[in-house]
Amino acid sequence: MHLRVNGESHEVAVDAERMLLGVLRHELGLTGTKYGCGEGTCGACTVLIDGNPTQTCYTPVSAAVGREVTTIEGLADGDELHPVQEAFVEHTAFQCAYCTSGFIMSSAALLDRVSGPDDDQIRSALSGHICRCGAYVRILQAVRSAAGKTGGEGGAR
Amino acid sequence: MTEPRMQENVALSVVGTPRWTPEPDPRGGPGDPATLLTIDKNGGVTAFSGKVEYGQGIRNGFAMEIADELDVPIDSVNIILGDTALVPHDRGTTGSASTRTVGIQLRRAAAIARGALIDLAATRLEVEAGSLATRDGQVMIADGESDAVSYANLLSGHTLSLAIPEVVETKRVEDFHLMGRPARRIDAVSRVTGSTKYAQDVVVPGMLYGKILRPPSYGAKLQQLDTARADRVAGVVSVVRDGDFVGVVAEREDIAEYAIEALRARWEEIQHAASDLNLAAVLKEKAGEFVTLRDEGSLDSAFDSAERAFENSYFVPYVSNAQMEPSASVARWDGDHLTIWCANRGPFTERDGLVEALGVDPEQVRVISMDVGGSFGTKTATVSHEAARLAKSVGAPVRVAYDREEEFAWSTVRPAATFDIKSGVAADGTIVAWDYTAIHAGENAFRGQRGADTPYDVGNVRIKVAAADSPLQAGSYRSLGGATNHFAREVHMDEIARGIGLDPLEFRLANLSHPRLRPALTAAAEAFGWESRASRPGIGYGVAVGYDAGSFTAQCVEVSVENQDVQVKRVVVGFDCGLVVNPDGARNQIEGSIIMGMGTALWEAVEFDGGRVLNGKLSRYHVPRIADTPEIEVVFTGDPETLSSGAGEPGIVPIAAAIANAVRDATGKAIDELPIVPQL
Ligand code: FES
Ligand code: FES
Repeated sequence: MHLRVNGESHEVAVDAERMLLGVLRHELGLTGTKYGCGEGTCGACTVLIDGNPTQTCYTPVSAAVGREVTTIEGLADGDELHPVQEAFVEHTAFQCAYCTSGFIMSSAALLDRVSGPDDDQIRSALSGHICRCGAYVRILQAVRSAAGKTGGEGGAR
Repeated sequence: MTEPRMQENVALSVVGTPRWTPEPDPRGGPGDPATLLTIDKNGGVTAFSGKVEYGQGIRNGFAMEIADELDVPIDSVNIILGDTALVPHDRGTTGSASTRTVGIQLRRAAAIARGALIDLAATRLEVEAGSLATRDGQVMIADGESDAVSYANLLSGHTLSLAIPEVVETKRVEDFHLMGRPARRIDAVSRVTGSTKYAQDVVVPGMLYGKILRPPSYGAKLQQLDTARADRVAGVVSVVRDGDFVGVVAEREDIAEYAIEALRARWEEIQHAASDLNLAAVLKEKAGEFVTLRDEGSLDSAFDSAERAFENSYFVPYVSNAQMEPSASVARWDGDHLTIWCANRGPFTERDGLVEALGVDPEQVRVISMDVGGSFGTKTATVSHEAARLAKSVGAPVRVAYDREEEFAWSTVRPAATFDIKSGVAADGTIVAWDYTAIHAGENAFRGQRGADTPYDVGNVRIKVAAADSPLQAGSYRSLGGATNHFAREVHMDEIARGIGLDPLEFRLANLSHPRLRPALTAAAEAFGWESRASRPGIGYGVAVGYDAGSFTAQCVEVSVENQDVQVKRVVVGFDCGLVVNPDGARNQIEGSIIMGMGTALWEAVEFDGGRVLNGKLSRYHVPRIADTPEIEVVFTGDPETLSSGAGEPGIVPIAAAIANAVRDATGKAIDELPIVPQL
């Protein structure tokens, strides 16, 4: 099966029904995307497929064929962090950071779609994610500040 | 993976016990002397600790303390954590309280190293040591224009080994340039780029994937097992059976999962009478011997003379830690030597557990604790035992990673508890009698003792705590019994205030002279605007105080309640943890504690029937989400001259009671147990 992940092509010999999460983590070694629940309720496994936040723990790998998958490893532009990553650093919007990849991917997709989202839009875009360390105060601050910086320019890269 | 560090480059090393307290620590000794800090020939600083990074920013905190004390740039400090082959055995406890004893010792080690560097410079420059200063990894004449000499330069040609004397002068607060100031975490970039490695992410060459066959309920015995279908699954390396322990090892995780499903097992389950519905009665029935923590004055005569008496019972259910990273472990045997990569908070405790379970010697086991994806006390050690057994059996490295359901069912939960409180007050609102009885689930009575005592002024007092046999496997949790004991006491305080018609803040202040807790309370109330709070329908206000891990806190909250929709709008926190090393880090921890405590207050309870957990999925177990986030303000009230105490746990202790008191204020409904929302 042919996958495009972070701009690179990969041939993987796996069952079409296997979940994308396991393929990314175990076959491609992209462990920045996390397993948290396996049932689509925590958001830890979120990547972008053609720019849309997608929970890979219940998305079969076949659904990614012919599309562009972006994981946390592919979000920065070389050494230059994505504005959302930058803002998460700035606001220490994490504790253990196990949830962080997922939050960042959904936030980046939001800022791409909506320029200058309000708080309700941010909360609703991130409602599928759990941060058990409770870093929500900072996550909100980080996304607001990234929205402020990217707003008006058509959002994030 | 991390291999033992090459020591050849070391130019200076400081040896000492891993922990230090000004007074002997009743919670445990200082640990075994070992190398705590080294400076290599290039000036790089490395420090070693048996502590583990589980999100609290400990690596950052230690690096700040060392960089400040040693006057080196923070990025020249490398912190090695949690690897039993490299770090000193702290023989210590986990938790916020012991962390500070490690931090202060690392500061002392850094101070000694700095002193030695100044002495070297004094000899080299032929000046008095007292005339020298240090900055940015260099020594220079304090007020002269002399050239600075780098630490690396000073150390060239030397190999120093220093011991930490009993008395060490560390920097004064006014000389800190890092501690006490907000700072980015040094690990921030790796956290936002997905490159931090957790136990779930460990891959070693030749690694296979293991999965364990779980019984349908606790205590079930395996009657029959048919492995024929599983054996035939392509990619299965082995089906391992050793008594009731059954596992599959396969080339891939999905194959192992599939093969486990293909096993046919027949179990005999045992009948348990307990469920979440009758838990309070079960605990009372199974209570062991009471430990009296305090018994002072005369309760009988105090109750006789009291103007009013109050009596009530309270209950908190089991809650799940539900940290985001489910337990995982990789085991590799090299001959009879075992290496374990895992997520345990106590690598030496984990090692001792393996030694006991596998019948090997401590020297045969190396435990490497990875960065932990949340823990709050739990991470089951069993996963390492399972990985080790499977790895031994197949002769290859094996990874075992729990799925979420396994994590819910087979790791530990916060002990449920029941409380009976009797109190007596005088006509002026002074508490004159306090009789407190708590029963906490779990084999370990110590857990339930945390936070059981009252911080209020009362002369006639008895505090009794017992442990009760626990139907579920009770384990550690943020602040453990601290959070649950505080719920009972602080809700009862409101009951008294209401009963005698006093404002809950005024009533607390009338009975609270504690020199650190009282200022935390007044600061929180003032920042909250307690006096000027506006009474509005559907809005309630609550207050509670707490102490834990050497710190003191008070919280005022505002909630809105509409049927079962409870929103915590605002939380204002007074917090005294002495010197705040990293204010932003401390705030982050306090905010997290509050969010976590909100879950226990409003929604969380493990439902179970007999030996089965009924709601062991994140879709069935409601934890706080981003839409639940209140506005949180923290006011630090500690004295920077006081040694730092815990910031990671104390924030959780008053919050459930403060919310319960606020919900009662809004609805008039008494809240005697948790969680609150199902009762509305
Ligand atoms: S792991 Fe996919 S949503 Fe939780
Ligand atoms: S930072 Fe630990 S789960 Fe979000």
